[in-house]
Amino acid sequence: MNVVIDGKTVEGRAGETILECALRYGISIPHLCTHPALPPFGACRICIVEVEGMRGYPTSCSTPIAEGMVIRTQTEALRLLRRNILGLMMLEHPSACLVCERRDLCDKYRPKSEKVGATTGCHTCNNKEVCEVRELSADLGLAEIMVAPNYHYKPIERSEPFIDRDLNLCILCGRCVRICKLHQGKSVIDFVHRSSQTHIGQAFGKNLHEAGCTFCGSCIDVCPTGTLSDRYAKWFGRPDRITETTCIYCDEACALAIYAVNNKPVMAKGLYDKWPVCVLGHFAIPEFLNSPQRLRTAQIRVNKVLRPVTTEEATQRCAELLKNHMGKNFAFVCDTSSTLEDRHVFKKFTQEVMQSPYYFEIVPDRKGYARFTNIPEEVKAVITTGSFVPQELRDKFEVVISLDIFPSEWTKTADVVCPVAVFAEVSGTVLDKDNQIRPLIKACNPPGEAMPEWFVVQQIAKIFSPDKWKEYQAVEEITYELGINTAKLNLDRETAPPASQNLKERREWFKGHKIEDYVSGLVAVRNFEEGQDHEEKAEVRLEVKIPENPLPFMVLSRRELVPNTYEFVIHAPAIAKKALPGQFVIVMVDENSERIPYTLSDWDERKGTITLVIQEKGLSSRKMISVNEGECLAHVVGPLGTAFEIKHYGTVAILGGCYGIGAVVRLSRALREQGNKVIMISEARSHYMTYYKKELTAVSNQFIQTTIDASSGEKGHAIDALKRLLQTGEKIDLIVAVGCPFMMMITAEETRNMGIKALCALNPIMLDGTGMCGACRISVGGETKFACVDGPFFDAHLVDWDEVRDRREAYSTEEIQAVSYTMPSTTLEGEHRHHHCSCMERG
Amino acid sequence: MIAEDTMEILYERAQEEWDKIENNTLPVVFVGSATCGRAGGALETEEIIKNLLIQNKKYAIFVEVGCLGLCVLEPIIMVQPTEGLPICYGPIRPENAEEFVRRVFIEEGVWEEKLIGVMSTDVYRGLPPISKHPMLELQVRNVLRNCGLIDPENFYHYLAHNGYRGFLKSLNIGTDAVLEEVKKSGLRGRGGAGFPTWKKWSFARDTSADIKYLICNADEGDPGAFMNRSVLEGDPHSVLEGMLIAGYTIGARYGYVYCRAEYPLALRRLEIAIQQMYEHGLLGKNILSSGFSFDITIKKGAGAFVCGEETALITSIEGHRGMPRPRPPFPTNSGLWGKPTVIQNVETLANVTLILQRGADWYVQYGTENSRGTKTFALAGKIKRTGLVEIPLGIPLRKVIFDVGGGILDDKEVKAVQTGGPSGGCIPADMLDLPVDYESLTKAGSIMGSGGMIVLDEDNCMVDIARYFLSFTQAESCGKCTPCRVGTRAMLGILERICAGKGEFADIIRLETLAQTVKQGSLCGLGQTAPNPVLSTLRYFRHEYEEHIKSNECRAFVCGPLISYHIDPERCVGCTMCAKACPVKVISGKRKEAHVIDQETCIRCGQCLRVCPAMYSAVYRRSGSRVRYEPIKERKKKTG
Repeated sequence: MNVVIDGKTVEGRAGETILECALRYGISIPHLCTHPALPPFGACRICIVEVEGMRGYPTSCSTPIAEGMVIRTQTEALRLLRRNILGLMMLEHPSACLVCERRDLCDKYRPKSEKVGATTGCHTCNNKEVCEVRELSADLGLAEIMVAPNYHYKPIERSEPFIDRDLNLCILCGRCVRICKLHQGKSVIDFVHRSSQTHIGQAFGKNLHEAGCTFCGSCIDVCPTGTLSDRYAKWFGRPDRITETTCIYCDEACALAIYAVNNKPVMAKGLYDKWPVCVLGHFAIPEFLNSPQRLRTAQIRVNKVLRPVTTEEATQRCAELLKNHMGKNFAFVCDTSSTLEDRHVFKKFTQEVMQSPYYFEIVPDRKGYARFTNIPEEVKAVITTGSFVPQELRDKFEVVISLDIFPSEWTKTADVVCPVAVFAEVSGTVLDKDNQIRPLIKACNPPGEAMPEWFVVQQIAKIFSPDKWKEYQAVEEITYELGINTAKLNLDRETAPPASQNLKERREWFKGHKIEDYVSGLVAVRNFEEGQDHEEKAEVRLEVKIPENPLPFMVLSRRELVPNTYEFVIHAPAIAKKALPGQFVIVMVDENSERIPYTLSDWDERKGTITLVIQEKGLSSRKMISVNEGECLAHVVGPLGTAFEIKHYGTVAILGGCYGIGAVVRLSRALREQGNKVIMISEARSHYMTYYKKELTAVSNQFIQTTIDASSGEKGHAIDALKRLLQTGEKIDLIVAVGCPFMMMITAEETRNMGIKALCALNPIMLDGTGMCGACRISVGGETKFACVDGPFFDAHLVDWDEVRDRREAYSTEEIQAVSYTMPSTTLEGEHRHHHCSCMERG
Repeated sequence: MIAEDTMEILYERAQEEWDKIENNTLPVVFVGSATCGRAGGALETEEIIKNLLIQNKKYAIFVEVGCLGLCVLEPIIMVQPTEGLPICYGPIRPENAEEFVRRVFIEEGVWEEKLIGVMSTDVYRGLPPISKHPMLELQVRNVLRNCGLIDPENFYHYLAHNGYRGFLKSLNIGTDAVLEEVKKSGLRGRGGAGFPTWKKWSFARDTSADIKYLICNADEGDPGAFMNRSVLEGDPHSVLEGMLIAGYTIGARYGYVYCRAEYPLALRRLEIAIQQMYEHGLLGKNILSSGFSFDITIKKGAGAFVCGEETALITSIEGHRGMPRPRPPFPTNSGLWGKPTVIQNVETLANVTLILQRGADWYVQYGTENSRGTKTFALAGKIKRTGLVEIPLGIPLRKVIFDVGGGILDDKEVKAVQTGGPSGGCIPADMLDLPVDYESLTKAGSIMGSGGMIVLDEDNCMVDIARYFLSFTQAESCGKCTPCRVGTRAMLGILERICAGKGEFADIIRLETLAQTVKQGSLCGLGQTAPNPVLSTLRYFRHEYEEHIKSNECRAFVCGPLISYHIDPERCVGCTMCAKACPVKVISGKRKEAHVIDQETCIRCGQCLRVCPAMYSAVYRRSGSRVRYEPIKERKKKTG
């Protein structure tokens, strides 16, 4: 049937929608809630078009084409309406970054998103790099937000296994609800409540497991925003390599896409539209393969102790040890999780090199458990490719060579241990349960020195019989030798993988190792299964009575000022007595914590308290904000740093952003008391991010609020308000900027030629805070300075801002790793963290 | 061959049953006991009358009937003496019951004070006929013909009034002829949109699905609307007969009545009526040996306004969250469970029954060229006679307000008429000559809707009215599509700001942009019409918005934050009532001296205005440039 789209006659297929037809012909219609795997929904209203003879603006995603239809997709009216609709959608989504005039500069200066708790803008959103809303807003030219956004103040949900949910980002496209219905045949999640209170949730406030979730992860795959995220993968950023391969956790052999960053697996997704994959396929691959416990180097036993050696040395030792155990004295034990190629080499090695009949291939049971016990009596040497052999049989062997991925009792008592590459780290073929050959394609690098299993065995074989062993240069040669010509991904499944529909069907073992020992989310799943899910999940904030004589470093009050930003009042009389404006403290939340510097926002010498304003940005600050009132911090060291020189400057403009708003209260008061005219400019992304308005008005001569989206006060950054002020003829003698590096950087750049001195407060990574370690090293005017003792205030025009950024990023991979695990709720939220501390004894 | 003889036997039985009432040997007491009557205390009145009659050894037959539509006069009791015509009284509240019994039964006279009229077209024994009652004179009670006159729980009463003759006729003339008849009648959907009924039927009829559905939409959700409830409570069979006719014509196998659970009486009467239909072979397999099988199920709605929208209603019946889905495909092609489905409003189906019973030729005498027939309206607001009225389409709005409704309360100035419920708009006073039909109302920026009609006078602030209606649709938005969910909330935010005196001129532009976005961009009718109250008030009462913004002036003295309270020193005698009542104690002044309200600290609660004795009325209000004094009322002389 013929239809006309934007004046172009195209041939449509019966039953397809206008959108499908247009996209097939390369005519782009902006769309959002629709998804190729899902039935049309028509909720977001972005894909509206004009159809001659039809009333209003039908949605192209849901309207089927009809013969002779005349469709217009790009009229002025449509563009305006789409932009306005997106503008409305952005009232319920942290959207200030979308309309920020410095958006490009920001993307350039900080391309990676930061690991915050609640996301309040694009640059702190884990989804930034793949965000469909960002793309759409760029396409539609969204430039302003019409009325003040409506932030929902929903707590971020991160106590569920694997899945983080921040409903404040949700645009209610309904994709997750629909995919759940499609993939699970039920609605674990659905729309709850109505009108502007509508949100996604489980019935009756149940947790996901109670609601019947199997953690197939399909909802995360389709979410166009950062609302639903894979806790492990979320902060790694845009994957640089996507490989389609087969899952070998079980013989269902699901087709998967493995996403890698820097050759490290970070995320896996199923490749089916119709079916989900199981919890292991979606969530248990990257964390399992990246586990810090993986074996990385070969080891040999020297005087009862395993010593790390090179792979060559290890294989050399293997050959030496095996020399005296040829024939029936030798056995090779592997399981079917090794590829066909691996197993071919194993078998060939056993039969041809070792001339032994004892080649054993164990088939794991339903749970993936493989045990091998009936070893013939005469066997004295054994090679294993996993920890399958019961430890009590260890003494039967004189030689044990272990090719393995994780340390176990077995590897610890082996004579040689060789780390091996498995799963997504290797290529090859496997057999599925229907005896179909499925391809395994290398998607990432193995850790350390780990090599594919066949390769390690071939190395041993080469030493044994350098002439007779025909060396394989690549795995493909083995595949060829096996006569395998084609191996197709398992893309046309007729039924869902059983474990994807029933959590209890999941595999629990891989190569003799318990998978959940290496995948934190599975422990949480196990906890739920063992009946812990019926407990009250609500955040426990006990009513605490602060004692008259508080303990050292006791938190006297804790409140959330704005999303992701908290104010703490801490009992620290010695610090309060000595503190001067501009100084900071270093906090250790517990004995194992990182040391993190926080600027002293305020203090009270009389009460002996200090006030800190803290933003959650990574593991340590997350630990910090989860401290309850009445609990004690392990250590607070301070006051540190050089105090701000309080003298008469004339007119001082103080620019505060984010946590910096809190950090300048005392400074402002001190400067005003010295007779300076203090103009305080506080910047925030949107009206719901503004705080301390009253406090700052009280300590300044003039207070100006700016917001990026103009929802409260003036539009723009603090520097914009400053510039406007200068245009009105205001004379400024000193500028002080306290905020994130980006805010201070733009302040420095845009005031460079004004002839006004500008100071900024730098906050690099610190360790000791006394000028010894050098961790906080920065360059100011070509000179190396230590922020902890020379700072924190420096001449903003002389700071090397790129270096500041790069040094902050130095440990980003480790930081991501640290925040990526599913924290069982007992270690972070709720549970007491100082077991030695007497505050435990309070009534 | 249709088993008409079985029906004839039923009709004979029905006639006998009705004759018992017509040729009564005992007086028959009809108690208007629909929900409106019950709210007025009808059941209590009935109970007291019964007891008093027994005490006085008088006997009568009691029949609980539906609603006559004279809400201001509820509870209404009609007495049919053993001789002569029935006489209608109201309001007979429980406290009037004793006097009623005395005057009407013991003294066997007429209680003229409470007399509404006699059931006749002419003056009868010196008593005025009810049809000449000012509220009823202009009305044409077609759809409501049986309401208030027959026992809705008595199957034979309905049969005795031509009941199911329309369905029998349909079976006889065949589906083509039925469709032709409906087409000829010009009937348009009474749910609000006014889509031609025959067209909808023919869409579904022309599909070749194995199963089709017919749904009666009784999810009447407009605040203040009760047209459908009255029909279901007073004459449920007329709707069910319409369902049979429609189901037969389109070839439906199953019917659903989607009725909101907040209508317990309507639901009970529907259940009884459906049970009676099954008992008498009018539902089930092979009805009257015609080969037509039809079953009706009641589905209770949980009170979501959006479920009155066709597709949301379907989703709700299917057991899902009631959210609309985009059209096309239209329900007539793919509706309930994916099958062709026709959804008709209660009143449409009741009209279908009438058309088939009396013929399209009779039907077209009412209404206009494009809007045929009559329409029921729930008349409410600042009007003297509120109630349920049925008028022929096309008569001017003014007649409805002033003749049927008796004009404005306290003879104040009419400002506007709001029609069509929360999705409708406001029609200003200078357009009252507008004929009430689909096109005229739409052209004026409002809609017919399901029949809400709220009269507003000078004491209504139009910004506040827009805010009120929008707050309803905003809260009832299902939350699915962006424009409706977010847009209505953003609009409401602006309106609240304007009502609080914090508006700016840019807000009017913002409102207009938002309203257009919501209207054009929303998925279903709820969102597409939600901005109507705002758009129509912006169109006709823009000056009120501007006054609110520019001079903080609410001319109707409704928007609290824009009103300040003052004491006129000329009038104040220093009685100290206001100072004592002031919750924040900001009224100063000595006893017997004029008092003053401190404007800085006043919280504008209005307590002083309420307590200032009417004989002084010294407290006056100011809003912008306007000042409003309360009239000084002479103290009532004590009667000895």
